[in-house]
Amino acid sequence: MKKNVLLKSVYALLLMMLALSGCSIGPAVQPWEKETLARPEMTFEGDPLDNKYTEHIYSSKEAASGGSGVGGGGCGCN
Amino acid sequence: MKSLQTKKTHVLGAALFAAAMALPLSDAAFAEAAPERGIVAFKYLNYQDSQPVYTDRIGVNAYTVSVMAPIAGKWSISTSYTYDSVTGASPYYHDFVEPEMISGASPIREQRYAGDLSLTRYLPQGSVTVGSSYSEENDYISRGYSAQVSISTEDKNTTFTLGGSYNTDTINSSNSIAHDREKRTVAGAFGITQVLTKQDIVQLNLGYSKGRGYFDDPYKSNDLRPDRRESKTVMTRWNHHFDAIDGTSHLSYRYYTDSFGIKAHTFGLEYLQSLPHDWTVTPSVRFYSQTAADFYLPVDPEDPGRENYFFDLFMAGTPFGILSMDQRLSSFGALTLGIKIEKRIAKDWIVDLKFENYEQRAGWSMTGGGDPGLKPFSASFVQFGLSREF
Repeated sequence: MKKNVLLKSVYALLLMMLALSGCSIGPAVQPWEKETLARPEMTFEGDPLDNKYTEHIYSSKEAASGGSGVGGGGCGCN
Repeated sequence: MKSLQTKKTHVLGAALFAAAMALPLSDAAFAEAAPERGIVAFKYLNYQDSQPVYTDRIGVNAYTVSVMAPIAGKWSISTSYTYDSVTGASPYYHDFVEPEMISGASPIREQRYAGDLSLTRYLPQGSVTVGSSYSEENDYISRGYSAQVSISTEDKNTTFTLGGSYNTDTINSSNSIAHDREKRTVAGAFGITQVLTKQDIVQLNLGYSKGRGYFDDPYKSNDLRPDRRESKTVMTRWNHHFDAIDGTSHLSYRYYTDSFGIKAHTFGLEYLQSLPHDWTVTPSVRFYSQTAADFYLPVDPEDPGRENYFFDLFMAGTPFGILSMDQRLSSFGALTLGIKIEKRIAKDWIVDLKFENYEQRAGWSMTGGGDPGLKPFSASFVQFGLSREF
C-alpha cells in the first residue's frame, strides 16, 4: 500500500516534469516578457506573517498540516 | 529567542538544504536574485472560537514583528518574534468543556514566545537557506532546524527546490500527566515551480514527514495515540493574472494522508483585485475535508465521555488501547470565507486588514462518516498588519 502511493507520487512527478519543463504552453517566456510574473502577487510566497498565522490556526484545529515546504516550529496548541 | 546555533548549522550545512518560514522568496521562480529592499513588518491576530452552548471557547491575541534585510547583494537575513496569549477552555472529550472552565474558575491562560532566524545565500542559478526556530510556553517547548536549496534552469522558467527540517519538542503538561515527554520530527519537501505563460505560473510540492514520540493530548480524557506519525502531502498551486482588469487569482489544492488513517483535501481560492489609489481587495474561500483517525472514538449520547465503555474495559481487565475522543480527529468538512483589504501609503508603507470566518461541521465531510454527536465548531479571525520597505 505504502509502495503504491510512493510509486504513484513518482509517476505524477515525472509526468508533471515532462509536461511542464518541456515546451510549456506555447513558446518559453523570455526574460523581457516577465513583467507580469515579477509582480509580488504572482509569487507563491504571499504575505509571510498572514500565512504563518493561518497555518498555525488550521494545524491547531484540523488534523492535516504542511504541504508548501519545510520550516516553522510546533506548539502545544489546543 | 534563541539565535542560530552554530553547532547545529554545522551539522546541517553539509547537506545543502535550506528553508525559511519568514523568508519572502523561497517560492519565486526568480528567487536567485537577492532582494533589493528590506522589509520590517508587524502583524496582530485576534482569534476567537465558539460552539453552541459555550459562546466563547478559545481566544488568542498574537503579536509578531519581522525583519528581512538584504546583505551585500548576495545574502539576506530574516528574523521574526511572536508573542501570543491564549485564554479560554478546551474540551475534555469531544465537545464537552468542564463547567468550572466555562465559569472562569480555572480557565486556560497561556503565554507563548517564539522566534525564528534564517539566512540565505544567493548564487547565479539558485539559492541556499538555513533556518532555526524556537517556541516556548509553560507546558511545551519546540525547537526546529531547516535547510533548503533551490536551483533554476538557464531561462529561469523552471525552479526546483529541495528542503529538509528537524523538530524536537518537549512536553510537560500542567496537569502532570505528561512529564518530560519528547517528540522528534524529520521532514522533507520537494517542489517544482514552472512558468507557463506571461500570466501563468504553477507549482507542485511533495512533502513527507516522520515523527516519533509523544502525540497524546494530555488534557483530554483517556487520550492515547500511537508513538509515531508519518504523513505525505501533495500540493499544487496556480497563479493567473488577468491583464485586462489587473486582477490575480490564486488557486490551490492539497492532499494529505497520514499513518493515523487521516486523509484530507484542501481547496483554496483567492482573488486579488487592484483598485485605484493603491488599494487591493482580496476575497478568499477555503474548503477543507478530512476523514477520521483510525482510533477516533465517537460520541455516544447515552454515555458521555464513554465512561461506561471505559469502566467495562477496566472491569474486564482489557487494556484501553490506542484511542482518542478529540473532535479534531473526527471526520468533518470546514469552510472559510475571508476578505483582505490592503493600502499602500507613501510608497514604502502597506497597511492591511483581514477578516475570516471558519465553520466546521461533521456533516460537511466529502467522504461522509462524520460524528453526528458533535456540535458545530466556529471561529473568526482578524489580522491587522503594517509593513515598511527600506
